[in-house]
Amino acid sequence: MKTFSTSARTSNRRARQVACGALVVAAAVAVMVPSLRAHHSFSMYDASKTRVFTGVVVRVNPDVNHLQIFFAVMNEERTNVLRDQKGQPIIWAVEMAGSAQSAREGISVNAFPPKTIMSVALHPLRSGEPAGDRGQSPLFKCPVNTPPKPGKHCDSVEGHVVIGTGQLPTPTS
Amino acid sequence: MRRRAWTAAVVVSVALIGSTVITQNPAGQNQTAGAAVKSVGRGAPSVHARDFQPLGPNAFGGRGRGAGRGGGGPVVFNGSARDGATPPGIEPLKIDIFTSKDFYKDRALWSDKRYFRCNSGAALEAQWGGNGVEIIGPNGPATAAWGHCDRDMPRSALVSPYAFKTAQAHYEALMAEAKSRGGPTQHTYATVPGEWTGRYARPASQGNDTWFFMQKVQISTVLSLLTPEYQTRAVQEHYHQGNTNVAHWPSQYCWPEGFLRRWHQAAVGEHQIIVTPQLVQIMTGIARNFVTNIYVGRQFNLEGAVPRLGADVPRWYGETIGFWDGDALITWTSNVQGWKTHAAFEHSNKMQSIEIYTPNRDENGRLTGLTHEAILYDPEAFVEPLRIVRNLNKASGPETGDPHTYIECVQTIYPVNGKGTPLSPGATFQYEVLDMFGRPWAKLWERYEKNMEKPVNEDLFDFSKNK
Repeated sequence: MKTFSTSARTSNRRARQVACGALVVAAAVAVMVPSLRAHHSFSMYDASKTRVFTGVVVRVNPDVNHLQIFFAVMNEERTNVLRDQKGQPIIWAVEMAGSAQSAREGISVNAFPPKTIMSVALHPLRSGEPAGDRGQSPLFKCPVNTPPKPGKHCDSVEGHVVIGTGQLPTPTS
Repeated sequence: MRRRAWTAAVVVSVALIGSTVITQNPAGQNQTAGAAVKSVGRGAPSVHARDFQPLGPNAFGGRGRGAGRGGGGPVVFNGSARDGATPPGIEPLKIDIFTSKDFYKDRALWSDKRYFRCNSGAALEAQWGGNGVEIIGPNGPATAAWGHCDRDMPRSALVSPYAFKTAQAHYEALMAEAKSRGGPTQHTYATVPGEWTGRYARPASQGNDTWFFMQKVQISTVLSLLTPEYQTRAVQEHYHQGNTNVAHWPSQYCWPEGFLRRWHQAAVGEHQIIVTPQLVQIMTGIARNFVTNIYVGRQFNLEGAVPRLGADVPRWYGETIGFWDGDALITWTSNVQGWKTHAAFEHSNKMQSIEIYTPNRDENGRLTGLTHEAILYDPEAFVEPLRIVRNLNKASGPETGDPHTYIECVQTIYPVNGKGTPLSPGATFQYEVLDMFGRPWAKLWERYEKNMEKPVNEDLFDFSKNK
């Protein structure tokens, strides 16, 4: 027959309390996350990978469900953009929260007109296609017509605007 | 008290010097004239489209080429020439939209109605059978038919008669008028005009049409309303509808209809209106839903790029505030997503409207409908504000008739090789993802503009001079 000491019962009780607390938190998160991301599964993105880009905005797509910014990736010299074999700019898409929530953060069609230079971190698609999820990373906007120095991002440019908190994450290999 | 009333009356009189004296029902048909109202910004006399004839060219009846849907009888042609003929007394241009290899180069000719063979916008998009009636002629666009060159609506019938440069100034002036009369009227459920609630007939019939149906106005006249960039965009559409036969009507792909399609006969059916003290809702639609929520008594946030109520996100049909001035409902819509109305023109994100709804009544005072006057402001697309006046004729209250249908569009037509093509289940094709907020129709047309000299856009990506 299995018996428990008092200390063991106390320990068990604490464990149950911790477990209950964790469940409450998990439930709360579970309730919150779908409210932010109810439109589609984000499993297409590889959250274990992070890429950091500085690019030139070509379009903000203000969809109700998930705002997207399409941007052309800048070259290392930050003088122009990378191009494919046909000479066309290489366009990436970064997906965010819904357009209204994004606008409240400061991300909108009007705040990011074409030619805006920005730096963003994203979790790329598992498929390798040029798109990703911004996740919780901050987004940095360079001052108008002011690209960063070679190899740098907008967070290094004086007068930049930051949306969100923290720093640009370190890209994974 | 009496002195205060007299003072207000004097203020009103002074404020309204130079304003128009009108009735409340400038475009009404089945109504008696309402009490005369002086206003600087509503109710000015309008020129009615019903007093003009369609330009054509189009055909009715018959079978086969040149015939119309529901035909079988003799073909009736409305136009001035067809099948390669030239209208009597008209000297055709050497190049027109049906023969041009590069319409961009023809800008100097766009102001000449002969460049469009005197077609109306609606008739031009029907040349290849866009509305079921094909009259393009035996040798394609070179033999496209001519409309009536001696028909047109005056440009003054298309533009605003009011002096305002912005929707905000217009709204504020109308609000000042309302205040000078002791308003704006504050309604409760006991006083709100609940008789407005109900069904209104589809505003599509001849006699209740407007210039925006694009049947009675020369294309060159319409182009005179637009800025150069938006003229180019409009001609690009006319070229591909009339010459290359590549039509892209947004709703054929289940794309949004766009704000201005609210006024187009083909885009709206019966209207359903619900009136409450703080919210008036107007619902209509055919291929897509149009829901206009008028928030009575609210104020716009004026700090952004355009006035808005909610987040800084352009909305397909904008956001609308309003107030009551007696029995007139005056509204201001802003924060509109730019888009296009096929056969007409594109509008930009700067589009705003002032709209006035006034009741029409019969001799017994019974409500017969509403006059809907709209003044459209878009400084990016229009060289001056435009105006559309129409009637919404009441059919019944909500106690009878079909219920409002909420529309979900299921796509069956796809842009295959840049052309709208119905596809069956199982069909496959190579699909190019379009930039939906960057004139997706234009991207599809580019396939058919290979040797044209298009205007060069700004280089977005060269920052070498900024280093």
